[in-house]
Amino acid sequence: MKGIATALLGITTPHVLKVSSSSGKTNKSPALEHRILGKTGLKVTTVGMGVMNCSDPAVLQRAFDLGINFYDTADCYMRGNNEEMVGKVFQGKRDKVFIQTKVHDHDEKRMRQSVERSLRRLKTDYIDVLVWHDLHRSEEVSDERLFGFMTKMKKEGKARFTGFSAHSHMASLLRAASTLPYHEVALVSYNFTYSKDLKEAIAQASKAGIGIVAMKTQAGGYKKGKMEGLSPHQAALKYVINDQNVAIAVPGVTTIEQIDECAAVMGITISRGDLNQLKGYQAFLKGRSCTLCGGCTGECPYGIPYGNYLRAVMYHAGYQNDELAKETLEAARTSQTIEQCADCPSCSITCRRGLDIKAQIKMARHIFT
Amino acid sequence: MGLSMFLCVFALAGIPSWAMAIESLLPKDLPEGWGLIEGPRLYTKKSLFEHIDGQAELYFKYGYQKSVFAIYQHREKPEHQIEMDIYDMGSVLQAFGIFSRFRTGDRPGGIGLDSYFDDHSILFYKGRYFVMLYATEPYPSTMKELVLLVSSRILDPSPSPKEIRFFPTKGLKPGSIQYFSEGLLGHRFLKRGFQGTYIEDEEVKAEINVENQTKVDAKGKGGGEQKEFNLFLAIFKDTENTKKALKAYKDYLIKRGRVQAQTPPRFGANTLRGEDPYKGKVLVVQRGFYLIGIAGFEKEKPAEDSLAEMIKNVN
Repeated sequence: MKGIATALLGITTPHVLKVSSSSGKTNKSPALEHRILGKTGLKVTTVGMGVMNCSDPAVLQRAFDLGINFYDTADCYMRGNNEEMVGKVFQGKRDKVFIQTKVHDHDEKRMRQSVERSLRRLKTDYIDVLVWHDLHRSEEVSDERLFGFMTKMKKEGKARFTGFSAHSHMASLLRAASTLPYHEVALVSYNFTYSKDLKEAIAQASKAGIGIVAMKTQAGGYKKGKMEGLSPHQAALKYVINDQNVAIAVPGVTTIEQIDECAAVMGITISRGDLNQLKGYQAFLKGRSCTLCGGCTGECPYGIPYGNYLRAVMYHAGYQNDELAKETLEAARTSQTIEQCADCPSCSITCRRGLDIKAQIKMARHIFT
Repeated sequence: MGLSMFLCVFALAGIPSWAMAIESLLPKDLPEGWGLIEGPRLYTKKSLFEHIDGQAELYFKYGYQKSVFAIYQHREKPEHQIEMDIYDMGSVLQAFGIFSRFRTGDRPGGIGLDSYFDDHSILFYKGRYFVMLYATEPYPSTMKELVLLVSSRILDPSPSPKEIRFFPTKGLKPGSIQYFSEGLLGHRFLKRGFQGTYIEDEEVKAEINVENQTKVDAKGKGGGEQKEFNLFLAIFKDTENTKKALKAYKDYLIKRGRVQAQTPPRFGANTLRGEDPYKGKVLVVQRGFYLIGIAGFEKEKPAEDSLAEMIKNVN
């Protein structure tokens, strides 16, 4: 059991018992931890910043002051306002940071315009990592048009390195990319809720020299059930960067307090006691988080949209958005009420990730009735 | 078709005239030479990720309900296309919020409650709807015609959020007021609220220099970079929580910046004055369930005057 839990956490025991834990408090600068981003050779901090939803330059400045050197943005975030902010904050500091931005699949003229707009907004003449945004199918990974365009961007000096991003079918995309010389970086969703299959695909891609950048690392984020040493956010992030095949995690951050919390994860080595807590936290999350993968749909004989119950719990516990949770529950109204559903003796629904669905439905009932 | 007929049908059905299917807001009679080539595609909270990937998270923070997407194409130049998204954000506040995060300054076009126009895009919000148009090539008149058609079909009569009018107009950078559903000023403890950007008045700068009997800064008159500062309004559920947030800000400044013991007497108790490591000078006043503040200013008096005016507007 211990072995299984350790494997799930992505931690090898000799690795984690070096020093006693940090409290995770952030009054002092964090101990920076660096890794090499695959064959790019870039030396990146293991915690970067997903700038996507951030609109306040102070948060970026704080991240920079903390020593974080990798920033993920995109051409489309807030119609380019996000890139503008990154460009403004890092003007005069360009050589001290790595910037990753994205381009969407269009004809070459539009893609070129997009990259040139990004360069103008970012106030730079090069992008460190240019990512083809949101691939879905394995064939796209070997698309020669994609490769041709990215090669041109590199030859023209507009991008130093290139890669792709994916939000779904990540394992198959990574495996396909591992067999090709095209991609230097892959930006993929990865957190404690994902399967062993993805973990193995990440390892394969990493061994092939693809620098793995992990996003969606907090799985929606859980603010409750705080652990003694690490906060739940930190534990989720620590899970990701403990996987040595991940070069860097880019948690989405919108406040100074969040970036402090994330940065503090770097350099934390875990005592045996902390490790036990982390395992406990994983168990806590494992029982409570639904990734809405849809793998359990259609197994209720009464046709109860229990997925809405699971989502409502996630909105309540993860996003702390009770309004959204209530709306979701209202949309789930059927002849069988949530009370009946929670106590239904015929429930045969199972989750392939081990989520206790019955407990979730009971939690939804407890919270909202 | 008479708008009155349109309204009448809804009125007879007992449905509020603005609570109609979102796809019905798409223009039906298109500008000459243009046709619909894709859509309408409807999205919900569950499927928005399929359309805009991770950016859906930002929409969720602003109360996203549902949306519709369509692409129009020039009949003779098929590569010339116009994409349109109409988002139902649930309320006029949220629609303004998302609009304010997407616009880039002030280029109004007189559509909806507020709008932004540039060569390739038009954004506007009206009632609970946020509308975004993107054209691969500049087609200003076609784009405007399309958004006018959409705007005419949005019958939600809600006025713009009243908080926008709390911001003093003097020195306000046009199009700079934003609504943040969380993390105002980049702080978790400030939660939600509005922020506006101001340009420090050159004349005021000069006056202050004269008042202080120092030499007038020649750079200040026309040369040099314009100094900006922010006025903000953080909104809490009650006075108790507002006071807690003020204390949290004070604690933050003690830890990372500086707190000044003296506060301007005209603002009374529950006033915080200090230096934020990333914002510069800050002055924050608690009034009921609001924290009203100014950040990043240079000169005390005009900053205090702006803050006083905003407090007056709130009251």
